[in-house]
Amino acid sequence: MTLPASNVPAVLARLGPLQVQARKVMEGVLTGLHKSPHHGQSVEFSEHKEYAPGDEIRHIDWRAFAKLDKYYVKRFEMETNLRALLVLDVSGSMAYGRGPMTKLQYAAVCAGALAYLLSRQGDQVGLCLAGDGGISPGVREFLPFASSPSHVQELLHILEGAQGRGPTLLPAALDFAAEKAGRRALVIVLTDLFDATDRSIPALKMLRSRRHDVLLLQTHDREELEFPFDDPTRFLSMEDERQIEAQPRQIRESYLQQIRSFLESTRKDLARADVEVEQIATDAAPDRVLLKLLARREAA
Amino acid sequence: MLQFAHPAYLWGLLAIALPILVHLFNQRRPRPLAFGAIEFVLRSQRQKARRLRLRQILLLALRCLLIAAVALALARPSLKPRGVEAAQTSGPQATALVLDASLSMRYRIGTRTLFEKARAEALSALERLGPDEPAAVGLCAGPGGFTGGGMGAPSFDRLAVRRLLQSAQPTYLASDLTGCLAAAAKALGESPVAGKRIIAFSDLAAHSIRLDAPPPLVPPAANAPPGSPGIRPNVVLVDAARASDLPNAAVVATAVRPSASLGPRGYEVVATIANSGTQMVSGLQVSLKVGPNTVAKGFVDVPARGTAKKTLGAVLPPGVVGGRVELARNEAQGLDEDDGQDFVVHVPRDVKALIVDGAPASLRSRDEAFFVEAALAPARTGGRIHAQTLDADAAANAPLDGYDVILLLNVAAPPKAFAEKLRQAAVQRGAGIFIALGDHVDPDAYNDSLGDLLPRPLHLIKTAAEPGAQGTEERAARFGTVEWAHPLFRVFGPAEREGLESARTFRYALLKPEGQAHTLASYDDGAPALIEKPMGRGRVLLYTSTASRTWTDWPIRVSFLPVLQQTVSWLADALEQRQPLPAQVGEERTLTPVAGARVEKVLGPDGQAVPFRRETAHPDDAVVPLAAPGPYRALVAPRGVEPREEPTLTFVAGLDPKESDLRRVDEAELKAQLGGAESAQVAASSAAAQGAHGTPLWSGLLLLGALALLGEGALTRK
Repeated sequence: MTLPASNVPAVLARLGPLQVQARKVMEGVLTGLHKSPHHGQSVEFSEHKEYAPGDEIRHIDWRAFAKLDKYYVKRFEMETNLRALLVLDVSGSMAYGRGPMTKLQYAAVCAGALAYLLSRQGDQVGLCLAGDGGISPGVREFLPFASSPSHVQELLHILEGAQGRGPTLLPAALDFAAEKAGRRALVIVLTDLFDATDRSIPALKMLRSRRHDVLLLQTHDREELEFPFDDPTRFLSMEDERQIEAQPRQIRESYLQQIRSFLESTRKDLARADVEVEQIATDAAPDRVLLKLLARREAA
Repeated sequence: MLQFAHPAYLWGLLAIALPILVHLFNQRRPRPLAFGAIEFVLRSQRQKARRLRLRQILLLALRCLLIAAVALALARPSLKPRGVEAAQTSGPQATALVLDASLSMRYRIGTRTLFEKARAEALSALERLGPDEPAAVGLCAGPGGFTGGGMGAPSFDRLAVRRLLQSAQPTYLASDLTGCLAAAAKALGESPVAGKRIIAFSDLAAHSIRLDAPPPLVPPAANAPPGSPGIRPNVVLVDAARASDLPNAAVVATAVRPSASLGPRGYEVVATIANSGTQMVSGLQVSLKVGPNTVAKGFVDVPARGTAKKTLGAVLPPGVVGGRVELARNEAQGLDEDDGQDFVVHVPRDVKALIVDGAPASLRSRDEAFFVEAALAPARTGGRIHAQTLDADAAANAPLDGYDVILLLNVAAPPKAFAEKLRQAAVQRGAGIFIALGDHVDPDAYNDSLGDLLPRPLHLIKTAAEPGAQGTEERAARFGTVEWAHPLFRVFGPAEREGLESARTFRYALLKPEGQAHTLASYDDGAPALIEKPMGRGRVLLYTSTASRTWTDWPIRVSFLPVLQQTVSWLADALEQRQPLPAQVGEERTLTPVAGARVEKVLGPDGQAVPFRRETAHPDDAVVPLAAPGPYRALVAPRGVEPREEPTLTFVAGLDPKESDLRRVDEAELKAQLGGAESAQVAASSAAAQGAHGTPLWSGLLLLGALALLGEGALTRK
């Protein structure tokens, strides 16, 4: 895949004044704009908590014990840097697109732009390409967290070289990402979610249940959303050997009903699990989409 | 059996291959496309696969059906009925449509007549004719075959033929279907089209078909070699009655005659009622109407295929009386037109007579007026003649006003004043004067007293024989020459004339040969016995012998009575007229007015003027063609005078009783008469009558094609 690099600066130019902020408190190792979700090592008192077995004894507030004759443990807030992991689906279906960009190209542009922004404000960014096996089942390539400019360059390089092929193995990649993220992190998943196994949604929920902040950027080509075909067509799968001959006009109604239902159910299902979903058509300008997304997160 | 008018169009069925090819093309040449969301395509296709496949097959079927229907419709298929197979020939046929318009076609089943059914069938048959088949139409009614000048040559002017059929109406005439078929065959000879066909629409009543006639033949073409035989056309007879029995009761004859038992002007009307059905008709109500009033009713049983007479009596008013005998209408079915018959009867008016008895006697049988009074007694005249007897003296002073007839019986020469009163009565009032002689009559005194009242002057009294003497019988005079056609003697048929001729007259007056008078009867020696003379508006009749047994034995003979009654009526101008001869619809009736008058107008049964013609030999007469049944009235007048109705010319036109007999002809015999089953068919409907065309299917196919097109559109739009 050739990343349209010219698009990235343009996107960045629009995104530049904004700062990416995670909606929830994140654990971080770097002091910065983000509040750390980790209590106990901060200099800034947050609250008291009644002692319970397992709490560190060193955090017991003896003054409070003297006053109240009860053990209270001090809790602290600490500002920390964000760890963001970009999970990019590089399955065959992501290679679809007959417009200026395929879905993969579009997702890569968005991922690159986000990596730039995050690194510029000092956050650590990692990358995981979810595809047929490379370094692990379901993970074609992984780049650990870092925030240096050279790291971002490497990340962009990987993005540029990503090829859309093979089946969607997103669940395995998300398991891998959860493991690699370790502490709480912002996990940005860029995929079309066309998973024949229907296991991707549970995997996303699982990721969220591990207290990661999960953002799903679900990308689709306009043709996938509107199915504008008329002539008899033999549809070929981009991930396996399946194919089907159909009269598009005859199945259009059913197709549209199904894909709308899929998008709607995905959105609702994940919203219930507190996973933020942004469904994007590839004919929308990436900068506008990101601006809107970031603005919404900032407001929240 | 299916047949096609234009089989070449069947090649169009090959176009069915087009939708099949399109279907196969669509199946085999899909465009490949690598698609990301194939999962949803698969699900959609799985969900709709069966329905889509069904739809594709349905679409293919509809498209094939559309093409097949159009191709078949263009080939103009039709279903050939089984019954007419033998009558068909290939190719177009010149067609003569013969529509029976006779009276029997007015037969009604429910509310629709056979004629209406036949006309509808004829119109359907016309619509089904091919564009290359010329047609002619004729209405079969009347003795001449077709009405309205016969049948023309078959033409392609369908509009004219259709108009003629649409405007056709049934007549009251009888029809000769055999003659019509022959005339139709002749008309077909004028068409150059090789095929010849006659389709006749009739009730197939036996009376309209002559089974002994030769079959209809189309004359050979003009360019055919001499001696070429005629062509036997296909004949299809469409039975408007659909082989059902047509029971019918009809009044076929009506006779009206005086009935003495009913009193003055009592008449009995004898109606003959026929039943052409196979079931006896019981308790059929018969009504006698005079004007709008029903004056008598009765019931009659009529045997199957038989007749019955029903007599109804009524007292009629004097003058020309129109009446009608009517049967109760059968609501379900029947021929209403023959359920009644009109009649006209000339009812004489009452006559008041004065008998002047010149020789009264105390012994009644010796009285001069005895026999005359007996003859004019109410019991013998039905009370129509009111006679009063006065002796000569009383009569001389009595006013004569109010008397229609004055009879002078053996009256001695009356005074001049009385003679003048007699003259005035005759001249001014039209009274009649009857003079009989006797011993009191002196010829010279009579001539002097009565003068020109006498038809001819009396000369002397002749004695042919003395009553009671030897050889009297041989010597007595007899009536020699009698004007039997005169109203006085019209009542005598040839057999009854003997009764008059056998009368013996012993003594009678001889007359002088002066004056203009008309001798009605004379003795065998040539001397006048009854002599008549008009006198102003009246008449004078002189009997040269006695009205008693004094000079003759005629008064004691049977023939005396009717002659005297007729004489009184004749002189009073109240003679019982001979009833007008019955006329029949379809005939012509010549109306002859009295001398000096002219028939100016004739009114038909509906009160409207009917056309008539005049003959050069009798320019005052009217020859009236009778088109409808009922009474006809004539308006006559001398030239230049306002016409007035002349009751004596009123007559009634009746229907041909044959038309009331609706028995059907035997089909086998009919086919044999028409040339056998090869060329003649009897069908129940116009569809069967279509011969080569049968029941057309193309319109149905076009409808099917249209439905297929709609279905195809609906399926492809989804």
